[in-house]
Amino acid sequence: MHSIRTALFVLCAAAAAGAQEIKVGGIFDLTGITSDVGKPFAQGVRDGVQWTNENGGINGKKIRLVDVDYGYKIPEAVAAYKRMVGDDKVIMINGWGTGDTEGLKAQVNQDKIPYLSASFSGHLTDPSKTPYNFFVAPSYSDQLRAWLQWVKDDWKDKSRNPKVAFFYGDNAYGKAPIEAGRRYCKDIGVDLVDEEIVPGAFQDATSQLLNMKQKGADYAYINVTTTGVSTILRDAKKLGLATKFGSNPYGFSEALPQVAKEAAEGVTGVMPHVPFGENVPGMKRLMDFHQKNHPQDTHDALYVRGWSYVLVWTEALKRADKAKALTGEGVKAALETFKDFDLGGLTEPVTYTSSDHRPSTKTPIYQIKSGKLTKVREVEMPRKPEWLGL
Amino acid sequence: MLSGEFHTSYRADMAIYETARARRVLAAFLVVLFVLPFFGSPYWLDVLNRAAIAVIAATGLNILTGFTGQISLGNAAFLAIGAYSTAYLAARGVPFALVIPAAGIVTALAGMVFGVPSLRLKGLYLAMATLAAHFIVEFLVTHWESVTGGVNGTSVPAPSVFGLPLANDRMLAFLILPACIAHLWFAKNLFRTRVGKAFVAIRDQDISAEVMGVEVFRFKLLAFGVSSFYVGVAGSLLAYQARIISPENFPLLVAIDQLGMIIIGGLGSILGSILGAVFWTFLNEGLRLMVSALSGQFPGLVQQFAPLRLGVFGLIVILFLVFEPDGLAAIWRRIRNWFRLYPFSY
Repeated sequence: MHSIRTALFVLCAAAAAGAQEIKVGGIFDLTGITSDVGKPFAQGVRDGVQWTNENGGINGKKIRLVDVDYGYKIPEAVAAYKRMVGDDKVIMINGWGTGDTEGLKAQVNQDKIPYLSASFSGHLTDPSKTPYNFFVAPSYSDQLRAWLQWVKDDWKDKSRNPKVAFFYGDNAYGKAPIEAGRRYCKDIGVDLVDEEIVPGAFQDATSQLLNMKQKGADYAYINVTTTGVSTILRDAKKLGLATKFGSNPYGFSEALPQVAKEAAEGVTGVMPHVPFGENVPGMKRLMDFHQKNHPQDTHDALYVRGWSYVLVWTEALKRADKAKALTGEGVKAALETFKDFDLGGLTEPVTYTSSDHRPSTKTPIYQIKSGKLTKVREVEMPRKPEWLGL
Repeated sequence: MLSGEFHTSYRADMAIYETARARRVLAAFLVVLFVLPFFGSPYWLDVLNRAAIAVIAATGLNILTGFTGQISLGNAAFLAIGAYSTAYLAARGVPFALVIPAAGIVTALAGMVFGVPSLRLKGLYLAMATLAAHFIVEFLVTHWESVTGGVNGTSVPAPSVFGLPLANDRMLAFLILPACIAHLWFAKNLFRTRVGKAFVAIRDQDISAEVMGVEVFRFKLLAFGVSSFYVGVAGSLLAYQARIISPENFPLLVAIDQLGMIIIGGLGSILGSILGAVFWTFLNEGLRLMVSALSGQFPGLVQQFAPLRLGVFGLIVILFLVFEPDGLAAIWRRIRNWFRLYPFSY
């Protein structure tokens, strides 16, 4: 107990020290089933905050990130949220998963806390339903549409439509883009022949793959995180399948060829955030920070994603501070002034309006060629009103 | 100075509070408990409410596993049934005073259905059967979308008293704490009745219980029913507190957690369920606060601290099992006896 009291004391002392602090909540997964991608993202956010504080802060005010590891468990995220909003009085939150973000959306709206989730669920893009939810990437649905478009164009045999399978987990994250994908398949003439459900954590996907083989899928989209994607790829290689695999942005990064080795060769993936070290102007400050603070570490696109989030919300905080409206409502209003906000190529320019929270609809598609991530295509989806919130 | 206690009648021997002092201490504790919600911060009230809900659920599990000896891994599923019945009824405008008992009854019925295998199965085999129950319920809540909302979950309106919504944890505490106390009171008294004694007889030796005239199957089913009622009520309160529930709220880990609570607290002890659930909930939060504080001090090490929390948690549980296998309730008994017998402890 004593150490808890000491810890609390340290916390209070730190809180008292900086009156000119802006408190921002961070809900991350460092130990749960998505920790494979949650850890680099969290580090990106933390480093981004440190960099901002070392470079002028928010018009001179420092940011304090109040963060917590919720282990990808919804009740823990709710508890953490209550603590951040009730006790720590954070102004906004940088969150993580789809299940917890969708679980908190009513609460967030009631408390007027802007909530930037690392979940790109299309359900969070309609401000008439979720006015305080934001994210920094094309939605999962637009990403899947983009990939399906790539499939359609990649398919050379004009005598029949390409056959596609979806792999996803039976949870909010896994299912988020599926309905949009089903409809888009019909729209563009791709035959969705199979949907395979995989568990949250799994070591073997052979039975699902054999099922898929029987249905004769030419392409398959995997909507789980890196560890799961590499398991599927490894088993597919073992079975000698000819299916071309694609992955969502939480299954596809520099980590994938490292984990899945040669089984990852030729796999495509949507990459809303560039790989670490990519030659874009925005990468310079990340590289400088990396050289200065932890030159031995390796980073990936998830780390870049964490940074991109910080760059977006710190800009919103700056705009809100200038407008003398450093409140949840002020930050939301500031975010909705974003028009083609340029992140130096780390991700596509970001636009939010009060009627549309889709930051962008352009999805870069990468392919693993001899172990390297290579950009093959960019697909832009139209901002159809009927796709808002789907 | 008590220097021990001496009963002169059977009535005194059966009493719940063995001394007048015990009654006064309990009364003082209850007063403090009901004053707390006026002062606690939102976060600590959330923890308090979750602890009280965990106490109800752990007591339910203890009735089944600790008192009747039927190992169950179905608690997460029963919580889910209670929570989803609540969501379903509350969304149709049923007041919470009816919803909570209804959720308990629905769960009790489900619990008795899943308890039927206990006629033929014992021990680990029964644990497997209840594990199956968990997966069946998990599948149902994920796929029966018209009722449960599927993976996206469903929201629960705040309970309201005369039009006043109990929208925050402070107000909910005045619903959850009395519910918790009422259930504890009932459980404590249950084991002074014929039914409760029959449960214990089944645990100790089911064949001799049958020989003594206890209808084993009937009482096993009843134990499943009573236990699931408790868990269903806990699930219902959980739904009202969380306000949005999805299948991700009820992973198997929740069932394991609750077994952990009653093992740490003390199997076959009402006090053990309370101590175990409170200890488990607060230890988890305490460690989390410590990790947060430490990561503020050593930002570079935060990636190492997060998993450390789980490791420390596991270590504490193991140490408890090694040094006090009878659980917190036994520790409490020793402390209490020391005071009671002081200064003549021999």
